[in-house]
Amino acid sequence: MNPWIAIGMLALVGILIPASMMVVSSLLRPTVPEQGKRATYESGEVPTGDARVQFNIQYYMVALLFLVFDIETVLIFPWTVIYQDAVQSAGLTRALLPMLVFIGVLVVGLAWAWRKGVVQWVRTPRHGGKPHEQ
Amino acid sequence: MATATPLPDTIQDILGIGGFAGELLSMLLGAALVGTIMLTMTAFAGPWAKRKITAAFTDRISVNRIGPMGLGTIIVDAVRLLSKELIIPEGADRPAYDIAPVVLAGSALLAFAVIPMGNGIHLADPETGLVFVFAIASIASLGLLMGGYASNNKYSLLGGLRAVAQNIAYEIPLVVTAASVVLFTGSLQMSEIVAAQTVELVTIAGIRIPAWFAFVNPFAFVLFMIANLAEVGRNPFDTPEAPTEIVGGYQTEYSSVYFVLFYLGEFVHIFLGGAIIATLFLGGPAGPFLPGFVWFTIKIWAVFLFTQWCRSAVPRVRIDQIIEIGWKGLLVLSFANLLLTAVILGVLGL
Repeated sequence: MNPWIAIGMLALVGILIPASMMVVSSLLRPTVPEQGKRATYESGEVPTGDARVQFNIQYYMVALLFLVFDIETVLIFPWTVIYQDAVQSAGLTRALLPMLVFIGVLVVGLAWAWRKGVVQWVRTPRHGGKPHEQ
Repeated sequence: MATATPLPDTIQDILGIGGFAGELLSMLLGAALVGTIMLTMTAFAGPWAKRKITAAFTDRISVNRIGPMGLGTIIVDAVRLLSKELIIPEGADRPAYDIAPVVLAGSALLAFAVIPMGNGIHLADPETGLVFVFAIASIASLGLLMGGYASNNKYSLLGGLRAVAQNIAYEIPLVVTAASVVLFTGSLQMSEIVAAQTVELVTIAGIRIPAWFAFVNPFAFVLFMIANLAEVGRNPFDTPEAPTEIVGGYQTEYSSVYFVLFYLGEFVHIFLGGAIIATLFLGGPAGPFLPGFVWFTIKIWAVFLFTQWCRSAVPRVRIDQIIEIGWKGLLVLSFANLLLTAVILGVLGL
């Protein structure tokens, strides 16, 4: 029996539970349409402008770095699964050294990004780092 | 070594139904049981236990009017929240605004499919169970970003983007620390990970201490606990919904049943974090005297209590510190932990 069918069933249940709660709520709740209360909350002030504006999210480079490391974790998992068997059949050096080199390359990359001041939120001297040259 | 029988098989035996339709039905019933267990725990945690715990930490009296120890609050709150008017903000991005609560609540429930809860309550046991759990658990931040963006509120947008910043800072330490546990087990299957922790570590004064990975590798356990706090967005890492900075964050514009679903999703996610910690580091449902399911419940409630303790006791870190703590602290430590574990395991030849 395929376990993924059972997981699919839980996905179905996971959608049905919120959906049924929404249905129950729509039967219970009142609807009093009034334009004023649909205004978005801005600390009691009249909202100014749209929320979909362009602004600096401050971690664009970090997000790019994340992609690299996230793929790396996918590549680490197969190694962790076979590691103990590999140590016994191929010896410690052959099992460990390639992964050390692999992670080493990424750590050098992280160190470079760190020195460039990429791995931080606000690039100002106040936070210790040098101002980043674009 | 696999567990006795998966939950759908047990249900099929009890009901005595065969064939493909019988299999599907028993799987659906098993899934409904797992969903009900988690909803029940959340119903206790959200409206009642969270208030009681916070009140105890801050030396106040909490809900005590309805029912014994205020337990009736659970039902009253459910009715109250479901019967509130749903106010949809102007300019909301409608499909995304409606889907976001379902994504958050549904994804958190889905990850429980592969968690062994003891007493045979284990819906499915695929070989890639651990990777599945982490893959599903990180869908939650997608739901938060959807809700934050679709609300057309500046606070919501900031909250959603902060949730993503937090997720990308702590996902990798979390997964890499889990990988250091896999070094011991040599398998990603949840039942194998639990089975690897039943062997004896050491016997002190006649008390047999099992090889739970929290005892074998306490450093990894501490790292995982910290990264998990950030993953579920609780203090000191609750910046996505920091009330003193950005009102309610991603849930500012959500009301009525949508707010309930956001709340429910967060609590199921906290329990999911507890379930992952229990399975990876605390021996899953193992424990003396009491049945497995009771021990599993105790363990995930212990982790829940820990998050509530942090919520009451630890100040929030600033948003710019989130990235730095994650990338300059936990990431480096988690890789050091992985490589050191690999070297020690290889040299000792365990």
